[in-house]
Parts: sequence; structure tokens; C-alpha cells
Amino acid sequence: MGNSHDHFKGKGALAHVVEAQARGIIAASEIHGTEIPGSLSAAFDSARDVSVFSCILILFGQLHFLPKNNLFFEIILLVVGLLIWKTGRSAWLAWSRLERLHDLLKEEHWEIEHNRDQEREELKILYHAKGFEGELLEQVLDVLMADNDRLLKVMIEEELGLSLEVHEHPLMQAIGAGLGSIIAGSFILFGYLVWPFAGAYIAGGVVIAVSGYLSGVYQNIHLVSAVVWNLALGSLSVGSVYFLYNFVKSLGWVS
Amino acid sequence: MMGTMNLTRSQPASSPTALFHEFFSMNLDEGSSPFLTPSARLWSSKLTLKTSFLAAIILSAAFALSWTPYIAFSYFLLLFVYFFAGIPSLIEAVEDLLDFDVNIDVLMTFAAFSSVFIGGSFEGALLLVLFSLSGSMEDFVVEKAKGSLNTLHKLAPTRATVFDKKGHPYERSIQDIVIGTPILIRAGEVVPLDGLVIEGTSSVNLVHLTGENLPVRKSPGDQVPAGAQNLEGTLTLSVTHTSADSTLRKIIQLVTQAQESRPRLQRWFDRFSRAYALIIISLSLFFSLILPFVFNIAYLGFEGSVYRSLAFLIAASPCALILALPIAYLSALSVCAKKGILLKGGVILDALAQCSMIAFDKTGTLTTGQLATDEVIPLHDNTTLLNATELLSIAFALEKNAVHPIAHAINRLAKEKNLTAPPLTEFALIPGYGVTALVLFKGKQYPVYMGSFDYIKNETSPSKAAEIEKIFNQLREQGKIIAVLRIEKDLFVFAFQDTIRRGMKETIQRLKSAKLWKLLMLTGDHEVNAKAIADSLGIDHFFANLRPEDKLDHVTRLSKTNGLAMVGDGINDAPALSRASVGICMGKVGSGMAIAAADVVLLHDDLDQLDWLMVKARQTQKIVKENLAIALLAIACATIPALAGWIPLWVAVVLHEGGTVLVGLNALRLLR
Repeated sequence: MGNSHDHFKGKGALAHVVEAQARGIIAASEIHGTEIPGSLSAAFDSARDVSVFSCILILFGQLHFLPKNNLFFEIILLVVGLLIWKTGRSAWLAWSRLERLHDLLKEEHWEIEHNRDQEREELKILYHAKGFEGELLEQVLDVLMADNDRLLKVMIEEELGLSLEVHEHPLMQAIGAGLGSIIAGSFILFGYLVWPFAGAYIAGGVVIAVSGYLSGVYQNIHLVSAVVWNLALGSLSVGSVYFLYNFVKSLGWVS
Repeated sequence: MMGTMNLTRSQPASSPTALFHEFFSMNLDEGSSPFLTPSARLWSSKLTLKTSFLAAIILSAAFALSWTPYIAFSYFLLLFVYFFAGIPSLIEAVEDLLDFDVNIDVLMTFAAFSSVFIGGSFEGALLLVLFSLSGSMEDFVVEKAKGSLNTLHKLAPTRATVFDKKGHPYERSIQDIVIGTPILIRAGEVVPLDGLVIEGTSSVNLVHLTGENLPVRKSPGDQVPAGAQNLEGTLTLSVTHTSADSTLRKIIQLVTQAQESRPRLQRWFDRFSRAYALIIISLSLFFSLILPFVFNIAYLGFEGSVYRSLAFLIAASPCALILALPIAYLSALSVCAKKGILLKGGVILDALAQCSMIAFDKTGTLTTGQLATDEVIPLHDNTTLLNATELLSIAFALEKNAVHPIAHAINRLAKEKNLTAPPLTEFALIPGYGVTALVLFKGKQYPVYMGSFDYIKNETSPSKAAEIEKIFNQLREQGKIIAVLRIEKDLFVFAFQDTIRRGMKETIQRLKSAKLWKLLMLTGDHEVNAKAIADSLGIDHFFANLRPEDKLDHVTRLSKTNGLAMVGDGINDAPALSRASVGICMGKVGSGMAIAAADVVLLHDDLDQLDWLMVKARQTQKIVKENLAIALLAIACATIPALAGWIPLWVAVVLHEGGTVLVGLNALRLLR
């Protein structure tokens, strides 16, 4: 039982299973904060970021922080910079998640190879909770314990709560982020060309609203709330820059 | 137990559970990640190699643009070269440094990134791309080599059938089975653990373990090793070794150990590169500190000691040295590939040039490994008056549904002769011995038996039995395998023999007359058979009755003393192929395991290409030595003047690159 104690780290088998499920959920979660396909999540997230950053840059031009005659190219350069950052970072985040998942898999594989009695105890709790009892429960455990690969699948899915063969490749997620940046950047540049300043703000607002709406659709959440909250956050961000500029200017810190 | 039956159904090959096995045997490779969708796994295939090529393409574009007015854009592109080719190297270099390991990787990375500070960004980028390409190609080869163990693991069953308290069979993981546990082996199953037969009689095939494709009878008291295939009856074994100590596990360990113990040239180059890196980095630091005192120069500025030391470091970065070996080997490998000879890495050519002996496995290499019906001999007066073709028809009727090698030989011959099997009734299998039936032939019904003589020995008078045994011994001395056919009271002997591969005799004679190698044969077969085959082929030296570990001992000893090329095909040859100076396997006939463990694969099974290969190996070795000399000379010509300040950095770079180009051109001669 010494081993059992080490394996469960002083907790009961049930507490261990609950803790393992929580670890699995954390490992599988995305930094973008959603459970929708990684590439779409990354695309919407990038589009929103590019819109907000571009609007702030355009505001700087409007407030004479930057020369207005170069603003069009400055927006392009900002979009290129953000495009590279969002694409690369999205890929890195996805690879980090994959590494975490692989670590969990490796850890569970080691447990199955070396702590078989404890794994059986955990399985017993999982399957008892499903309604298996007595001899039938023991038979199920015998069958599951007979094949290590199948046992690993059961433990990964049922103990850690992870899904197999569902994740996109990190590069796919990166492409999503890149496309999101390009679409948002192009839309804002078009808005700026058609109607300098106001057109760009409107285009930025539309991009934020559309990406908020699509995220809401995929996440199956309240759509009006998703659109309005995203627009409000974007406005709060750009508005804060504008009003803080006026405040700082009133203090005479900037000319 | 119905629920059990449903749950124990085997998984399809593409299931996630099948992926676990591959994932762990490939050392957690992303390309077999069970979490990724099948299409996403394809994206991961050779990703580092693809990235290296992408970096090379971007570098070419940057270099082309550097000659146009858009030079600023070329620096933008260079940034991506440093990102794709440099960052992985930088991470590895930092990790090596944290482990206090100063090696050639650290030197190259340090030199490449330092070059940015003294205006040599293109030089640095080129170093990184070359370095990244050679590294990713090495990873690719290593990945391929790992497939060998995967093949063996797939052969090894992971479950065994045991009995519950009521005597009902159920499956358990072999890891949960302790010594003494009775396990059930059904017909057709592979034995999962070593055991002693406690119930049942059957024939097993040990082809995966010994290379000899023959049925071996096992009855109570006999030992059966893990990896043997049960052919017809049901056996109950008492487990004698746990899964960690089983025979199959030992073979896996032998292959692992053998793969880890090579190659010599690579080890030498690793040691050399470590020493070289440490010396160059130390000298750079030393020069940057000491030069102001010797030449009365400043530390900083274009004439300063730091600048000169960095120039020395870049000039001494072993670009040509790194290229000297792989480009020569790559050229030789590609010309070999065109001839249908696949070599797993260039160092194999070097090892091959050192070999003075060639050892051949017998079964499957010198011979086809398939039994052929040699002759049919009547032992009594033929009262049934059947001729040889009619006897073969009856044997075909008895054996047409059997799976062991003797049955295959009879079935092949019957099909060649276009024979029809007469109808059978009351067919019965006698596990471990043979089959009986009533055969309807020419309107008459005959009781027939085919199999081992042991089963009917008691029904024969002692004097007749002794006479028959004498004939059997004579046939065995000729290397023949025997089966008895009894029709009513008449006895006939079917003699089978392993057939020598077509053209092999001429090949061996040519190899002998070349006088480049001493030839010998290693086999798990018994001495009589081995001698018969060696004599008919003209091989002077042979070792018989060898278990895989004995074969490995011979190969290890001979490899150390003479340099040995081992030619084999079976799974049992895999450890020896790995341990030999050079393992050569025939691609068409070789088992996946042997192909994976070998260094050279002859795709067309054409052994007469060996002498051509030998010449190419020697030529490659000569060019590698020339390239090493050119590379070292180029480094010397570039570093010393750069350090002394006699030549500007761009001249040092030209000298440095000149060496690289010369090395490349010299290596291309191997393509002829």
C-alpha cells in the first residue's frame, strides 16, 4: 500500500480521479478561452486584436502622434507585425497544449505499466459510478486491464476527460490566426481608403462585431450579448486611449 | 462472459489504441500523436526537414535580392531564415550549455548568431541552414531506424488467455501473469510467454526465433518460447518466465543494445567535434583578451580584438567540415540507390570498406526457406499399386487445408502438377503428429495417415521400425525433412529439402574468386543440414545449431577482429545484423524486422552487387578523407589571416566558402 499512497498522493482513489479529470480539462483548454475548433478560435481572436490595435494606431494619427500622410503604410506595417505575432504565437500555444497532453499521456502510460493495482482501483470507482457491481464489475475490470492500450484509452478519456483524435495541427491553428489578421487588416485598410478615420473605425467595429457573433454561434451562447460585449470592450479600449490622451494633454505633459 | 467476448474484440488498425503503441515506440513523435486528427498527423510528417528546406529557399531569395536595389527587403527575409533555421539550434545550444556540454552545435550556433554583429548576416544564415538541413536529415534517418523495434513489438502478443476459478478462460495482460500460471494457447496463436507444456500436443513454428521454417512437435514436458506460433492443436503452458524475461523480450533487448553500440566513425566524429568546438571557443575568448597586449590594439572597433576574435570564430565555424562527410556520403548513397542498394546512412560505406569477412545466414538467404518435395520412397511392397502422382494426390487431399511448411510443400507441388484431391471422410487431426482420414480413390476407400513416424511406430514390428529409422537417418544426413504417408499397410516416405536460391552458387563462387572476403555461414539449423548446404555452395566455413544469442556472439567477435558484413533475412537475424560491422539484408525476401535492423538493403536481392558496393565504399572513404583535408585547410587559410588582421572579413568568408564549394565538387565525383 506504500505505492498506493504515493500514487494517490495521500488522497483517496475517488479524489484522485476528480483531480485527474481537472488536470485533463486544464491541459486540453485553449489560451484563447474557448472550446471551438482551434483555427476558428484563433482567427476570431486575431481579427479582434488587429482591429483594436489598428484603431488605436489610427487614433494616434488623428491625434497627430504620427504623421497622417504615412498612416496608410503604418497601418499595413502594424498589420504585418501583428500577423506574424498572432500566427506564430497561435502555433506556439497549440504546440504547448499538445506537449501538455503528451506529458499527461506519458504519465498515465507509466502509471499503467508500473502501478497496476492503483489503476485497477481507479477503474473500479469509475465503473462503479456507472452502475457496474459485483462479479460483473470484476469482469469488466479484468477485460479492461487485459489490454494496456485499451486501458490507456479508457483512462485518458474517462479519468482525465480528454478526447482523442480531435485536435487540429498547430500549424492549422496558426493559419487560422494569420487569415483572421489578414481579413481584419484588409477590411480596416479598405475602410480607411474609402472614408479616412471614420471608415476605419466603422470597419474595425464591424470586424469585432462579426467575430464576436461567429464566436457566439460556435460556442452556442447568447448572440446579442456576445456582439455587444465585444464591441463594448473594443470601444472601451480605444476610448480610454483617446480620453487619457486628452487628460495628459490637459496636464501639459504632451504638446 | 458474453459481455467479455464483445469487449475483447480486437481494435481496427487505425483506432486510437493502435496509435498509442506507435506513439510510444516513436518516442512521443508528434506525427503519431493520438490527440491529433488523422489529417493533422500528416502535417507533422518530416516537419523539421520541410522547415529546413523552407529556410534554404528563403535564404536563396534573400541572397538574390541582396544583388538588387531591394537589399533592405533581403534583410527582412534573412530574419525568417534566422527564425526557422536558427531558433531550434539556439534552443538546443542553450540546453547543451546548461548541461555544461560545449559541442559543435554550440559553436555553430554561437558563430552564426555572432556573425550578425560584425556584418556577416548572410554567412551566419548559411551556416544555420546547412546545420538545420543536416540535423533534420539525421532525425529522419533515426526515425526510420526506430521502426525496427516497432515491428518486433507488434509480433509480441500483449495478452494471454488464463483460467478463472471455475476454469473458464479469459484474457489478461501478460504483465499481470506470474510464473507458474497456466495459459491457454489456441491453434494459430503466437505464444505470449515462455512456458512448459502441461497439457495438449501440437506443432509450433519457431521461424521468428530461429529462422527455421519447420513444424516442431511439443508435448507435455517440452519448453515453448514466447514468439513461437502454435500451428494446429491446443496447448496449456505453465509460465516459466515473466514478460520482462521472455525470449522475445530478450531479442528486443539484443536489437536495442546492438543498435546503440554503433557506429565507430560517428563516435569518433562526435569526440572530435566536441574537442574542436571547445578549442575554437576557448581560443576566441583567449584571443579577444590577449590580442591587445600582443599587437597593441584596442578591444573594441573594427580593428579591435573582439571583432578579430569573432571573425576568427566565424571563419573557424566548420561549414566545410560539416559538409565534408555528408555530401560525399550523400552522393555515394544516391548512386547506390539507383542500383537498388539502400544504405542507412553514409557511415555504413565506411564500415563496409573495413570488412574482410562476409557471413551468410542459411535459411532464407542462401536458401529460399521454403521446403520442396524432394522424393517419395516406398518402404514396403506397394500392395495398393499406387504410383508417385497418385500418392501425391492423396497427400494433397490430407494436407490441402493445413498451414505448416510440409503441407505448403505438398500443396505447391500438387498445384504445379495440376492434381485434384480425392474426397476424404472421417478426417481427424492428431495434434503434434499428423492427420488421419478415409480416402475414396479409384472407387475404393483407404484408411490413410500422414505425419510423424512416431505415431505409428508401435504398430510396426521392432525390426521393421529399426530398418525404417536407418533409412530416415540416411535421409536426415542429406539434410532432408521427413513425413510418412501410410495407406492401409503400405508406408511411403516423403522427403523434403530446403532449396538453394537460384544463382546463389555462382554468386558465392564469384565472391570467392574476388579474394576480397573470407566467406562463412551461420545457421540455427542442425549441423548435418548446414554441412550439406555449405558443401553444395562451396562455402568453407560454417557454424550450426546457433540460437540468436550464439549468432550474436559470433558476429560480435568477428566484427571486432576482422570487420564483418552479415547477410541475413529473418527476425532471428535482426540482432546479428544490428551488431555486425555492416548488416546486409535482401529487401524482397527479408522480414520487416531484418530490413529495419540492417544497414544495407539489397532491393533486388542481388548479392552479386556486393563487389561493386565494396569498390564504391573504398572510393567514398578516399573522397571523405580528401574532403576533410580540404575543409581543415580552408579553415586554416581563413582563420589565421583573419585573426592577424591581414585580410578583411569578406576575404575570410570567400576563403571559407571556397573550401565549402571545393568539398562539394569533390564529392560529386562519386556520382559517376
